[in-house]
Amino acid sequence: MVVVAIVFGLIGYFAAPKGETKVITKPPTLKAAFIYVGDIGDYGWTHAHNVGRLWVEQHFSWLNTTYVENVGAEDARQVIENLISQGYTVIFGTSFDHMIPMKEAAENHTDIIFFHCSGYIRRPNMGTYMADFYQLYYLNGLMAGALTKTNKIGYVAAHTIPEVVRHIDAFALGIKEVNPDAKVYVRVIHAWYDPEKAQSAANALLAEGADVLAFTEDSPTVLQTLESKMKETGTQYYGFSHYSPMQDIAPNVTVSGQLVHWEVIYADILSKVYAGLYTNTNLQDVDYWGLLDSGAVELGGKPGVPINPKFVNDLKSVTVTDKLTGEELSVYDLVMRRLDQMKDKQMVFDPFEAYNEPIMGWPKDGSPEDLQEMIPVGHRLTYHERLVIDWWVDNVVSVGE
Amino acid sequence: MNVQILNFIIYQAMKSGTPLLLATLGEIYAERAGILNLGIEGMMAFGAVVGFGVAYTTGNPWLGLLLGALAGALISLIHAFFSISLRVNQVVSGLALVILGLGIHSVMGKPYVGQKLSNTITGIISPSLAQIPVVGSIIVQDPIAFLGLALSVVLWYVLFKTKYGIILRSVGENPAAADALGINVYKVRYLATIFGGLMAGLAGAYLSIIFRPSWTEGITAGMGWIAIALTIFSLWNPIHALWASYFFGAISASQYLLQGKGIPVDILGMMPYIFTLVIVVIASLAQLKKRIGAPEALAVPYVRGQS
Repeated sequence: MVVVAIVFGLIGYFAAPKGETKVITKPPTLKAAFIYVGDIGDYGWTHAHNVGRLWVEQHFSWLNTTYVENVGAEDARQVIENLISQGYTVIFGTSFDHMIPMKEAAENHTDIIFFHCSGYIRRPNMGTYMADFYQLYYLNGLMAGALTKTNKIGYVAAHTIPEVVRHIDAFALGIKEVNPDAKVYVRVIHAWYDPEKAQSAANALLAEGADVLAFTEDSPTVLQTLESKMKETGTQYYGFSHYSPMQDIAPNVTVSGQLVHWEVIYADILSKVYAGLYTNTNLQDVDYWGLLDSGAVELGGKPGVPINPKFVNDLKSVTVTDKLTGEELSVYDLVMRRLDQMKDKQMVFDPFEAYNEPIMGWPKDGSPEDLQEMIPVGHRLTYHERLVIDWWVDNVVSVGE
Repeated sequence: MNVQILNFIIYQAMKSGTPLLLATLGEIYAERAGILNLGIEGMMAFGAVVGFGVAYTTGNPWLGLLLGALAGALISLIHAFFSISLRVNQVVSGLALVILGLGIHSVMGKPYVGQKLSNTITGIISPSLAQIPVVGSIIVQDPIAFLGLALSVVLWYVLFKTKYGIILRSVGENPAAADALGINVYKVRYLATIFGGLMAGLAGAYLSIIFRPSWTEGITAGMGWIAIALTIFSLWNPIHALWASYFFGAISASQYLLQGKGIPVDILGMMPYIFTLVIVVIASLAQLKKRIGAPEALAVPYVRGQS
């Protein structure tokens, strides 16, 4: 044994280059491509993804990224093939529409890593990721219920897919907790990005008496409409920013909102790919569901500002009973308390849990009168139940299709 | 229907009707001279981006409106040249300009996406008076809306009660006869087309400076096409264009009100075109045709010496 060791040692000594230190090879650059469904200037969904992309590109010196805008379902496959031929080894698809084309590309290019946002198909080389706002909408709802003077709250919705239904329901549940008399009115514009329709729908809701508006649409139009209406008439309106920081665009009406930090998820994915933890064979069960606890989403209309200081006193002056503890506290304190409860990894509180009484609602394809028990007492909606949610909370009284 | 909703519809009818009205008035004059200008959508888009860009950079919305109008006129000059001097098919020329105008507005507008103007143009009367039933919605409108109202009357008067109107109409009905009477057909048609472009550009600038809160691509949203339908619907008469534009504006304003009652938005979106089709059918009945039909020489290039 000893002889073998000495022999190998001597061989190693004579074989090694003399006088040179071992060269450390520079790690390869990782090339990642991002496919966007919209325009990076939309100030909504696509803009936010691009902000995430820029963050990782700036912070990771080993990363090279590129992006392609305005890619729909029809173009996605071709775009993916082009990117792969240009040497990109990680492809991000940021729209539900990219799911099928991406799956097909992943089947044909098993050496490339794919990540799809907002979908549910996974493969060994295709993972999924999403950041969801339902907790933020719930918190926005608490504020909306407290601030409304007319008890009519409007929502301008892009499409009524489960994601948006989930957000509207979370918003409605927040409203209900603070103000059981307030009602929610939904108008659907059938487009993710359409400032003209958003303005029209917002105006119609205001004409019907709503004084608080939330929305799912990729532009600040709804908030701008509120801001100009307020400037014109002097009445205070309230709105909630969506996706990108819009508070500074409409500082007199923006109470709070929902913010996303895609960079949290992108940084995690890309550093794991770079470190070799994620490969093209082990992504079958990789699914990111970014909530408050991960930092992928943030409450507010502006980073670092969960509630616009202009409205803090108004929120402090309205009292409500905490349905978990029976305590009386201000809405402001309740918002902060719930925020902490939901940031906690244990998720002590969830809007979609029926604590003292069942949560009633009506099916999407029915009418507001068919109230049924949707969440029985003691039940918290499962992950799957949230993904396919197709009913409205009982205080949502009008949904235009 | 309560007062608040009624006021809302009237207010929106005038507000969204004004760009339609301005573009339609211009197109009426162009078509009365015999030039079919389908490029309104492109001219509006170009006027919108130029108007916004100027207003944004200089801080002066009035300058934006002026230069937006001139931008529309510039594009219509292209159409005029191709249609009148080169006698190209006017449908083709107009449609090409739609694509050109829309393309330019997308490219030029990129730096402004999401931006809003710091200075805009509001009504002269205090907005608090908007609460007054019916009348309130009208008096608080911005000056350009009143310009639209005034122009409809003025242009109607010029078209039907003055010598210039007769000259314009004769060029559109029978250019050979007009030429024989010493009227410069080309000049009249050029001027009419440029006026049409000027108005379309103004309509576009109105959209981007006064109507919409910020710049977005696709800001014209098909209004140019509705203006073309309106030209026919109003039977080439500026006074009819006035109430028809407000009527169409009211339809678009009611979309989301009626959505709440269960009526799909798309049904209302079809209305302007359905109404226009109905009018076209009625107007083409032989008895009515002579009095209220389209200008005889519409879209027919004129060459001196040929009839």
